[in-house]
Amino acid sequence: MKKLLALILALVMVLSFAACSEEPANNNGEEENNNGETETLTAENIKIGFVHVSDPSDMGYTYNHDLGTWKMAENLGISEDQIINKYNIGEDEGCATAINELIEAGCNIIFATSFGHGDYMTEAAAEHPEIQFCHATGSQAAGSELPNYHNYFTSIYEARYIAGVAAGLKLNELIENGTITEDEAVIGYVAAFYFEEVISGFSAFYLGARSVCPSATMITLKADSWSDPVKEGQIAQSLIDQGAVIISQHSDNTSPATTAEAAGVFHCGYNSDMSEAAPKASIISARADWSIYLTYAVQCVLDGEEIATDWCEGYAEGANFTSPLNTAVAAPGTQEKLDEVAAGIVDGSIHVFAGPWSGYYVWDNTEFTCAEGEWVEESETRSAPYFGYIIDGITRLDA
Amino acid sequence: MTYENVKKEPLIRVAKRPELSSKKAMLIRFSSVLVALMIGGILILALGYNPVSVYAGIVEGSLMTPTALKATAKIAVPLLGAALAIAPAFKMKFWNCGAEGQITIGAIASTYFALYQVDNLPTPIFFAVTFVVSAIFGGLWGLIPAFFKARWGTNETLFTLMLNYIAIGFVKYLRIGPWMDKGQMFPKIPMFSKSARLPDVLGVHIGWIIVLVLVIFIYVYMTRTKHGYEIAVVGESISTARYSGMNVSKIIMRTMFLSGAIAGIVGWMLVLGTNYTLSDTTANGYGFTAIVVAWLAKLNPFVMVLISVFLAVLQKGSNTIQTNFGIPASASEVLTGLILLCMLGSEFFINYRFVFRKKTVGGDD
Repeated sequence: MKKLLALILALVMVLSFAACSEEPANNNGEEENNNGETETLTAENIKIGFVHVSDPSDMGYTYNHDLGTWKMAENLGISEDQIINKYNIGEDEGCATAINELIEAGCNIIFATSFGHGDYMTEAAAEHPEIQFCHATGSQAAGSELPNYHNYFTSIYEARYIAGVAAGLKLNELIENGTITEDEAVIGYVAAFYFEEVISGFSAFYLGARSVCPSATMITLKADSWSDPVKEGQIAQSLIDQGAVIISQHSDNTSPATTAEAAGVFHCGYNSDMSEAAPKASIISARADWSIYLTYAVQCVLDGEEIATDWCEGYAEGANFTSPLNTAVAAPGTQEKLDEVAAGIVDGSIHVFAGPWSGYYVWDNTEFTCAEGEWVEESETRSAPYFGYIIDGITRLDA
Repeated sequence: MTYENVKKEPLIRVAKRPELSSKKAMLIRFSSVLVALMIGGILILALGYNPVSVYAGIVEGSLMTPTALKATAKIAVPLLGAALAIAPAFKMKFWNCGAEGQITIGAIASTYFALYQVDNLPTPIFFAVTFVVSAIFGGLWGLIPAFFKARWGTNETLFTLMLNYIAIGFVKYLRIGPWMDKGQMFPKIPMFSKSARLPDVLGVHIGWIIVLVLVIFIYVYMTRTKHGYEIAVVGESISTARYSGMNVSKIIMRTMFLSGAIAGIVGWMLVLGTNYTLSDTTANGYGFTAIVVAWLAKLNPFVMVLISVFLAVLQKGSNTIQTNFGIPASASEVLTGLILLCMLGSEFFINYRFVFRKKTVGGDD
């Protein structure tokens, strides 16, 4: 009996490996019959697909991106049933399935919103040249040299800088009140991961705070996930326990805001206006208006024009902005200062990553100094952020 | 009737049923699914959706388009594989809750070759080597708790469960550390090159053929071989096994090696056939859901095929209703949980019945 089993197993192995070597030949050619008919695309017949990493109930990233979708639909007169949303698609094989289902449903343009969707978008873009693929926060489009593959992001670091100024003014108020000493002006930052997109964000926020509160320092912890409401809240609590009096975040949910409120500290949000979730804590939120890009990209498809390979617009164009200041929580005089900073960003007199600061590059620890009067440019050569320095004053508690 | 019997009989008591006809048992199982769908329907109504269209959405989203069908198959295949892996251990009453970790370790082994050795090996050799290495590593991971159980009588449920987290922690270390994607500077392991991917047969990676062969292998192994007989005896009574001269330690370790090896093969097909990379979620809960599959199938490999397909339909379908109806992920998980609960609960009614206190005291049993 044993021998028989061994024989069967051996046979199967041989057969399967024989199949391996033959298979690749007839792999193509499946989906090529659809290309024949060329119907002109209009606002009435275009189909648009979205791959979202979570769903709008996060009240954060996906909620905000979804707002952009509906605004785009309104701008272009596209009806609800022409838009197919795939929610809660992880950064794994499920993403490939979701993209294939969108293709099957006849989408002409497909957007994916999370960094880790990139590999699957790259493969799909190569296989389906007739469909446009747009990937937010990603960085693979230019390198792939595929004409139908595009990256987009906003220079959100500008809005983060402004939010950071509001946080710094709040720290000043707490110091003046005697609630904390100068040394206790600690910001806690809930980071999804440590890589450029997140580092660029927390550095901008920190530099904004330090521009008005020189003694400000920052501590960070990472969640290792874009969207994990429980963990984000736990991290916020841990940062508060370690002395943070203002919490900010690069993660998709409002749990850091509500945790800050429950602990009696303050908060600056991301993606959505988080003062709705935490009216007693959340001062201001840095937000992106995705409708600007979505409208642009879909319009390009309708007009038969090429979509930019890397798209990144900023505060001046309205692609990112800050939510209305929560005056019940913000320090007095904050609005005036924010208006001044915002004007400086628009006219180019304020550079977010301007010196003097020193720090080290996150991937190889080489030291770097940015002198007074100099600055590091962000989002000039590609849409995804590439600022990767850890500025002195920021401590990654888990690095 | 005896005079000592003064204690009053409880109002309701649970009694073992005499053997139920298989027709009746099937009827109970079938109606349990109906009950589950009804309770689920109430849940869907409460959320403000139409139950009929949501259920139709589950079927449509898992079976009705080619992509959906393939995706469902890609869930069913590893699930069935994992259930087959734990079957011999469960037959031995060795509660292997560690298939998740054994899958992961097998996946890690294959990933090493896919990342660093794929260009050095001809394709058939590459797949053969990764297959064997994944099986060995998965088997060794399964052997650890078996060794401790055989040697010191440790609790295998806890031991195997905890090893899962060590395996997944190891993936985290590799993802953030030595195997990080240097090209993207993002803490993830790179995608494998095309030559490291299992070929498709009828649109699904070749793993499905291997798993179907494993169905026959496990069936024959458990019912027609000396090993299978020994497993059954150890499962019924270790003392009996010892008394009849079996080397119980050896049987436990051998069986767990086999169990872990099959799980390792599942890891092999997951990374090389489905994900094309390794992540913390590569095992994706298959090792745990497999316990439900094995249990519902009463360890019968052929029934496992049906149950895995059914659960795969539920899983893929519930993903689709999240998308199409905007039903929150948590709600669709509750729905699948309900269906599973009712199915498992029905086994209770097949094996036991409620006996109500009779009015007159009679010794008629």
